[in-house]
Amino acid sequence: MKGLLHYQFISYLRSYQYVPPLSLFIILLIVNYTYTPNPILDSYSFTSLMLFFIMGWFTVTIFHVEDPGQKQITLLHSQSLSKYYVSLYLLAALIGLFLSIVAVASPIAFGAFGVKTRILHVLLGVLSHFSLAFLSIGLSAVFTRDIVKKRINTWWGVLSVLVISLSLVAFKASFLQVKGLIWLVPPVYLPLEMMASDDSLPFIPEVFYWRFGFVFLYGIFFIAIFLLIIKRKSNFH
Amino acid sequence: MNKIMELTDITKKYKEKMVLDNLSLSIYQQQIAALVGSNGSGKSTLLKITAGLVKADHGAINKLIHPLKIGYVPEVTPADLPFTPEEYLMHMGTIRGMDKQLLKNRIEMLVHTFQLQSNIHIKMSRFSKGMKQKMMIMQAMLEETDLLILDEPLSGLDPKAQMDLEKLLLTLKEQGLSILLTCHETKLLENAVDRVLFLQNHQVIDSTLSTDTIQKVNKLIFEIPARQTFEELLSSMKIIQKVHLTPMIIRVEAVVNEEATDDLIRQLLVKQVSIKQLLPINEAKEAFYQGFFKQGDEKL
Repeated sequence: MKGLLHYQFISYLRSYQYVPPLSLFIILLIVNYTYTPNPILDSYSFTSLMLFFIMGWFTVTIFHVEDPGQKQITLLHSQSLSKYYVSLYLLAALIGLFLSIVAVASPIAFGAFGVKTRILHVLLGVLSHFSLAFLSIGLSAVFTRDIVKKRINTWWGVLSVLVISLSLVAFKASFLQVKGLIWLVPPVYLPLEMMASDDSLPFIPEVFYWRFGFVFLYGIFFIAIFLLIIKRKSNFH
Repeated sequence: MNKIMELTDITKKYKEKMVLDNLSLSIYQQQIAALVGSNGSGKSTLLKITAGLVKADHGAINKLIHPLKIGYVPEVTPADLPFTPEEYLMHMGTIRGMDKQLLKNRIEMLVHTFQLQSNIHIKMSRFSKGMKQKMMIMQAMLEETDLLILDEPLSGLDPKAQMDLEKLLLTLKEQGLSILLTCHETKLLENAVDRVLFLQNHQVIDSTLSTDTIQKVNKLIFEIPARQTFEELLSSMKIIQKVHLTPMIIRVEAVVNEEATDDLIRQLLVKQVSIKQLLPINEAKEAFYQGFFKQGDEKL
């Protein structure tokens, strides 16, 4: 797995396909923190949402970076379909984690907040960014070339599912009225709700960890669906 | 000749479409076999089943040497690879889980066999299709290989690259490898293949050309000054064509028995002959393929 991950990372690095989403991410971070001081959790909430969308872009480019002919060969050497795709998910997740850390650390480093940051803010910030990045990876990968044949449909699919997931946040109250339905929609609203807490929050309530856990679980559920579809479609054994 | 693999009663369907129907096939040691058939006849499926990449719906695959190591070269050659050959092979070997030192030694040996020493530090995105094809064969041989399977290896290659690949396949065969490939190109069929397998109506028709019974001959093309005579050498060769290029120079195309070739060339060089071409050919094979392609033309 280490060799496969290293190969995927170098392939992605040398493709330069990360340049547009990374540039956009950095520009938006700079714009967001141009005027100071900023509230901590509110700012992290916005940049988490930003990362949720940008991670969709990263995911598609990571899953499409390898030449289709070479992909067959890499699959043969890796000797496992799951191993191959898990390496792609891992690469996307590591990039998501790196960007989460950058999004949390950079405003602290540049003194963009009005009040002193505490460990609690950092922890909530990383969890909020990374959970939404992970959810985005899970949702976006389902629209990549191995499942959706036309490239244009990949982009439409990814954009639609991310926008719909966000817009459902607004309808959350009405969904709650129909019992159980809320568990079906992508839980973008959960990190945003938690990040709406006041900066003076004395400690992280236990329920927050469960909610973040649910977001990760939702992402894993989509990864499992992706792997099931791929295994069904492929003759590789 | 020793059998290394036996496929018995192989059946494969894609949805409701029958691709292979109770097909049986044997693969022999140190033999190049070509699988010939129309598009969609199931050539690639049969190769993938042989390589163990696709499961047959029914039938048995019996490997007669253990472990039988198989290398597979897919039809599609990657267009853009951001690695040097050394980096690429190191990555593929590491993904396979090979030991680093063993991998380095193996790469060194492959680079030597495939004569890529001068290109080892050049990015593969700058390689020609022929060189990329060589790389594809190299990745399939990262581990010691007994059987090399190639899907349309000559597809898209220019004649020079085809000839290079053909020589390479013959070298690999001499080193003891068995090779199973699909191809359309008559050139490769004529010069390198020992055995042709026609895939027709979901079945294989084996047209083995036993190498033991075929007399090996060479085609020799040379230019000789018109003033020189070579009647005394006519017993060693069969003249196919004789053309006056200029009043001073005659171009001769002849067929020579393999054993007599060295002696004949030595005697010709004494007569200030310029050797233009020397190619191994197989008369029986030529007759066979001429018959095969003539049959194909008639069908069309």
